[in-house]
Amino acid sequence: MNPIATHTTDDLGVAWKDDAAWQERLDSDRRRAQAVQTTAQRAFTETVVERALAVGAEAVALTGSTVRMRRTAISDLDYHVVGPRPQVSDLPGDVDIYASDRDAFWKKLRGGDDFVQWTLREGCILVDSDIFRDGLRAIAVEGLWPNPGPKLERLPAHMKIVGRLLAMGDRDAAQAELRAALTSAARAVLLGAEVFPLARAELPEQLRMVGAERLGEALRVTIDTEPSLEDLQRFLDVLAQVAHVDVRT
Amino acid sequence: MSPKSKRELAREHLETAREDLEGGREKDVINALFYAAEAAAVALAEAHGVETKQRHGLKADAVTELHKKRVLATDYGPTLRELNQARKDVWYEGEDPDLDEPLADVLDEIEQLVEEAEKTQ
Repeated sequence: MNPIATHTTDDLGVAWKDDAAWQERLDSDRRRAQAVQTTAQRAFTETVVERALAVGAEAVALTGSTVRMRRTAISDLDYHVVGPRPQVSDLPGDVDIYASDRDAFWKKLRGGDDFVQWTLREGCILVDSDIFRDGLRAIAVEGLWPNPGPKLERLPAHMKIVGRLLAMGDRDAAQAELRAALTSAARAVLLGAEVFPLARAELPEQLRMVGAERLGEALRVTIDTEPSLEDLQRFLDVLAQVAHVDVRT
Repeated sequence: MSPKSKRELAREHLETAREDLEGGREKDVINALFYAAEAAAVALAEAHGVETKQRHGLKADAVTELHKKRVLATDYGPTLRELNQARKDVWYEGEDPDLDEPLADVLDEIEQLVEEAEKTQ
């Protein structure tokens, strides 16, 4: 796999072009999903797919660090569903299901959302009525590239939450929210540099390659360690510089 | 200054959620309720020897386990998981809040969990 996917449609392949090629992509993705998951994860994924189909989903993909084989201690099992969100709150474990209807899928894709592109470029497509295939075609034919703008626009509000948690002294919560905000900023920076952001654990290295070492190091530390409140404040200041926001006001 | 206990943090987050609810700041309510619930879950889990590490899912699993052990009369695990998904949708994806229950009802439920945590030593 390309460790630093750049702004190109070359790595999208041509699977969307004909039925046989698309079937091969689906078969390959299903084999890959089997290979990258543990037995328990596979069982969980089967349940998610069954429940998604039962409520009328037309497409389901396994996404995120699992499919990149870069899970960390805090990784979720991530899914992208086109259709109603399946109910999974009774199931144990860390799971994140992004669900949208068909209209929202297209609005997000053409509006520059990177998560939809992530699913199509890197995800393991498990079920598809052809909407994922059509989405991939749209990326290739229309030359769609995600827009980092919305991520940067959401950063000030997100940083305010981190500031509130730091002021309260809730180190665990502050770290979780700061890590999320750093991840979002990292993806925005990479997209702006025309580098497609991969799994969270891969972002520090991708950031280093585009000259954003400080942001990458702050993210790495919040993924791999348990920094003090003082260190978290310092990383929030790094983030503020990226977002051009004064978090202390 | 010694760090605050999880029980104290749970109560503080809960009161923040109440203020946000009264102020009509729905997105902030979801976050504050989630962290109130998580802090209470960790306080209870630690008091009863259940591991949570730094994982959101394990904290939800812990309160479900404590319900199965009859430590808690209610299983708050599904609510924790719903709040976790809701805050990610809101803050990471820019979506509108989407919870099965009104926020005021969720706040009442989480307050019960916080009160359970406050009974622990």
